[in-house]
Amino acid sequence: MQFTIEVGRYNPEGIYPDDAAPGQPYPAPWDRSPARRYQTFTVDLPEHAVVLDALIQIREYQDQSLAVRCACRSAICGSCAMWVNGHAHLACKSKLHEFTKDGKTRVESPPSMPLIRDLVCDMAPFWDKHLAVKPWLQNKKPVPPANQEYTVPNASMEELIQEVSCISCGACLMDCESFAVNQEFLGPQALAQAYRYAGDPRDAETKERLGELSKSGGIWDCTHCYECVTQCPKGVAPLEQILKLRRMAVDAGFTDNPGTRHADAFAESVRDSGRLNELTLMPKSIGFFNVVEQLKTLPSAFNLIRAGKLPPLIHKKIPGVNRIKAIFERVGGRFK
Amino acid sequence: MTKDHDVIVLGAGLAGMRAALEAARHGADVAIVTKVHPIRSHSSAAQGGINAAIGETDSWESHAFDTVKGSDYLADQDAVEVMTQEAPGDIIEFEHMGVIFYRGPDGKLGTRAFGGASQARTYFVGDITGQALLVTLYDQILKAGVKVYEEWFATSLYMENGGCRGLVAIEMVTGELHLLRAKAVVVASGGLGRLYEPSTNALICTGDGYSLAYRAGAPLMDMEMVQYHPTTLAGSGFLMTEAARGEGGYLLNSEGERFMKRYAPNKMELAARDVTSRAEATEIAEGRGIDGNVLLDVRHLGPEVILKKLPQIHEMALDYLGIDMVKDPVPVRPGMHYQMGGIRTDVHGASKIAGLYAAGEVACVSVHGGNRLGANSLLDTIVFGRRSGKASAEYAKQTPASTGGEELLRAEQERLQALLARPYTGETPAGLRLELATMMDAKVGLYRTDAGLHEALDALAGYRKRYATIAVGDKGRVFNQALTFALELGFLLDCGETIIRSAIERKESRGAHTHVEHPDRNDVDWLKHTILTRAADGQAEISFAPVKITRWKPEVRTY
Amino acid sequence: MKVAFWPGCVSKGACPELYVSTKAIAGPLGLELKELESAPCTGAGVLSEQNPPLADALNGLTLAMAESEGASLMTICSTCQGVLSQHNHYLKNDKERMERANATLAPQGFTYRGTTTVKHMLWMLFEDIGIDRVAAAIKRKLTGLKVAPFYGCYILRPSEALGLKERPERKTYLEKLIALLGAEPVEYRGATKCCGFPMATFNRDKALAMGGNHISEAKEKGADVLVTPCPLCHLNLDAQQPDAARVIKKTLDVPIFHLPQLLGLAFGMEPDELRLNHHVVSTKGVLEKVELKV
Repeated sequence: MQFTIEVGRYNPEGIYPDDAAPGQPYPAPWDRSPARRYQTFTVDLPEHAVVLDALIQIREYQDQSLAVRCACRSAICGSCAMWVNGHAHLACKSKLHEFTKDGKTRVESPPSMPLIRDLVCDMAPFWDKHLAVKPWLQNKKPVPPANQEYTVPNASMEELIQEVSCISCGACLMDCESFAVNQEFLGPQALAQAYRYAGDPRDAETKERLGELSKSGGIWDCTHCYECVTQCPKGVAPLEQILKLRRMAVDAGFTDNPGTRHADAFAESVRDSGRLNELTLMPKSIGFFNVVEQLKTLPSAFNLIRAGKLPPLIHKKIPGVNRIKAIFERVGGRFK
Repeated sequence: MTKDHDVIVLGAGLAGMRAALEAARHGADVAIVTKVHPIRSHSSAAQGGINAAIGETDSWESHAFDTVKGSDYLADQDAVEVMTQEAPGDIIEFEHMGVIFYRGPDGKLGTRAFGGASQARTYFVGDITGQALLVTLYDQILKAGVKVYEEWFATSLYMENGGCRGLVAIEMVTGELHLLRAKAVVVASGGLGRLYEPSTNALICTGDGYSLAYRAGAPLMDMEMVQYHPTTLAGSGFLMTEAARGEGGYLLNSEGERFMKRYAPNKMELAARDVTSRAEATEIAEGRGIDGNVLLDVRHLGPEVILKKLPQIHEMALDYLGIDMVKDPVPVRPGMHYQMGGIRTDVHGASKIAGLYAAGEVACVSVHGGNRLGANSLLDTIVFGRRSGKASAEYAKQTPASTGGEELLRAEQERLQALLARPYTGETPAGLRLELATMMDAKVGLYRTDAGLHEALDALAGYRKRYATIAVGDKGRVFNQALTFALELGFLLDCGETIIRSAIERKESRGAHTHVEHPDRNDVDWLKHTILTRAADGQAEISFAPVKITRWKPEVRTY
Repeated sequence: MKVAFWPGCVSKGACPELYVSTKAIAGPLGLELKELESAPCTGAGVLSEQNPPLADALNGLTLAMAESEGASLMTICSTCQGVLSQHNHYLKNDKERMERANATLAPQGFTYRGTTTVKHMLWMLFEDIGIDRVAAAIKRKLTGLKVAPFYGCYILRPSEALGLKERPERKTYLEKLIALLGAEPVEYRGATKCCGFPMATFNRDKALAMGGNHISEAKEKGADVLVTPCPLCHLNLDAQQPDAARVIKKTLDVPIFHLPQLLGLAFGMEPDELRLNHHVVSTKGVLEKVELKV
């Protein structure tokens, strides 16, 4: 079967095949790598072939100068994450017939990462973040003797298989919305690994970890958009791990941050009125005494007033609000 | 540019990183040189588990006996004793590092059954055991702050006064060639699966270490022992873990029969790999296959076991064949998987060359002999990785630093320049690689004949001639993979030659080496290792060494 | 067609124009809106994150209310849709969670049996009301107008609970609708991205940059207007647009329409009826383009 592949080429030495046409630069925030040129190839492969099969065939028999990282070909080594039709996927897991759109599949290095050559991006931002969460066990004392393992329930180990399944391909970070606008954000993979250790019953520094992760760049800088859950090829579901960390951090008492205040203000509003009170949400999240940040929101407030959009100053309760209070009461836990 | 370290480890899979960590613990300034990021190493593809005799119902002697029997009595028993005795400690150490091993109901480590083992002694993390060990070890390397030259491709070992004192490597991102000097070098660069088509191995398994060490004068041992795994996925040839059978999966022929009862009535599907692979090949050859495959059936295990303990192979069958293993059996066939032979070392990982150590698949201690048992390879990497790390660090302590090597660097620069400057002849390196690998599978695979092996040797000589003229289709510096592909092909040719030469010598059938004209094991003449050394004229010189027998005399091998 | 209507907090709060315009187009679409006036806020994911059983119970209550109306539950907010879909998915597939939620609801006289279907109005247009009926209601083709769709995360992700595996076409409804109304859909990356609202209160500049970048990209691709099925996106894209422009240092001035406003305009309604004058970014340019005066 014939497939057409449009490959994003880039060579810092400026050497390009003649038929590689210049492409448009990507808009912010996906403009972190130089503009590339696009070269079209036709490959003859079986119907169920994947994007990587095509790239290997191109590299081996059509243009040896195409740079692409790959090793296992079976979604284990994590080498071949790249943009396929504008989203981060493993090339070895992306079926050509599923991705062919308007007669072709477009493959390129993700523009959210620095670029080295062709389909090879610089993964340094990814590995830096991984390192930043101290991804190693801080052994709980006493460490069992050298001939003995920690005794822990199997369920607590199985709970972590999802995170250990991470192959560090970087697809989640490449498409992370928060990372795109915020380079400091630790990102989905590193935070999922942070949970992998913070959630390990053999780890002694869970609390210290949660404290670190509650700071700027950590768990509260996630915008909760589920891109990482969608793009992860191994079902790690990083966002879900970030949400677990948020719960753990709050339970551990790390509540003096805008993220927690936001959650508290939100819950309070729903509990007392059945509805969200937009008017108090912002100031409560920022903290009433954070005057500088409070002032920054004023222009927006004026704009709302001018447009006649300001929510009613006296927040209306829904009918039967007592029912809602009773539910909060009965469920208990946080926000009661 | 020139850089100096005490110990350089080539390769960042389990053996390499374990060696580096241990060398660092012994005070060495250690650096890892690896052509891919450590996490991309092929150790991550090991699925099923890692063996050790832990607990009162098992013993290291039992583990050692199973290993020796599995090896078809070619393993050196002193090395097997070391490995099986130290296995529990190494596994517990990895548990302490954070590996999330499966637990039994008591919260203690739990096991699964594996082929060729008299007891269930395989410790595991789902079917991603290699990956779980690899990421944990990588994180330990980060914690220890070990220097990693990531995406640096080694082109040559640096030899000085008969000792190994470093290597020359290309920094892929810049294309710059560097001299990395050291007092000791540990080669832990993994296998050579790309020499065979198909193979379960990754595209990066190109036999670099075997060839580099061989060219430097290190002897290679038992290279004819190439393992075919019984269950590789139809088509792609991807590995379907032995754990599928360890958990109770069946092998069926086209008549729906569990044919292993005719080959290994006691162990059935859990016979050793060489036995099972040959049984499958026989079924297929006698017309009871399905398009050149047999079936792996795990349906009776139920969705719970399949999804929890075998999730990765379930995903692979679904991704690459569209088969849901919960509902249907999956077609599998024997496929090239592992090289038992390699750089000959002692139990400390030391080769015959001063300062040159080796560990993992690239090494031959030998603990696997003629046939490796499933779940012994991960064990091999961490036991002998650790041992070679320690030994190399200690060697480095009493060895003065080298100040030479500039000549080699210049020579390598010239060699690569000449390679890049070669005109295009119409021959693609990839085409040549495929021809070589297809030939190896056909003539130096599961069954071998005298005629076939000699044809293979002739063919190889022809490939060498053609290789001498191939051109590199990329003239740039940055990330020139066409150049490294061409160099890798050179490594593969060396590996192919040593395998064929050893296979021609061994006139018996033992372990993975099945010689059609010599179908029986011959302990009188062949209870010995084949050893190949590269002579000054570039020719392979064969010699032999006795197998070390400590307590298990060769017996008839049945399962 | 009768639907149990959940307007969400924001259409009753900071985006009253959404509520009003929804009501306005119900007639032409033949929708009988049975508003769930005493249903609680979904928690917008915040409660789900911090206290899952609480979010199960609150959303279970809304689902139970719709169940007793014997009608599908219609939302007009991507976030409400996402949260209700997710909890509906949990409750339907996890017996333990269902039992726990019902135990909480029992004293209030409610039980959820797990039969409610939750659909955003956008989905209903295609799957229940029928696209022919929508086409028949068009009185003013929006010819010449370039409209950039902006979905909002929770109507797209996570895909399992939203039924996108079974109905992948849900990912293209906005483009199809824009074309049906006679306008030209603008293709740009931001269409399926995050507006930044979830971080708006605690990571304001980043949230503004996020939304601002998408508007800027759509504008560069020629968009006259963005249309969104999510009022939270609307807040970040419209109400905060002047601030977003300041953060990313670009001129934006791209009006943002709620989905029913765009429909209403095509149905021939007057801008006032649709409260198009109650936006922070003026909608005047768009109206002029379709030959209307404010």
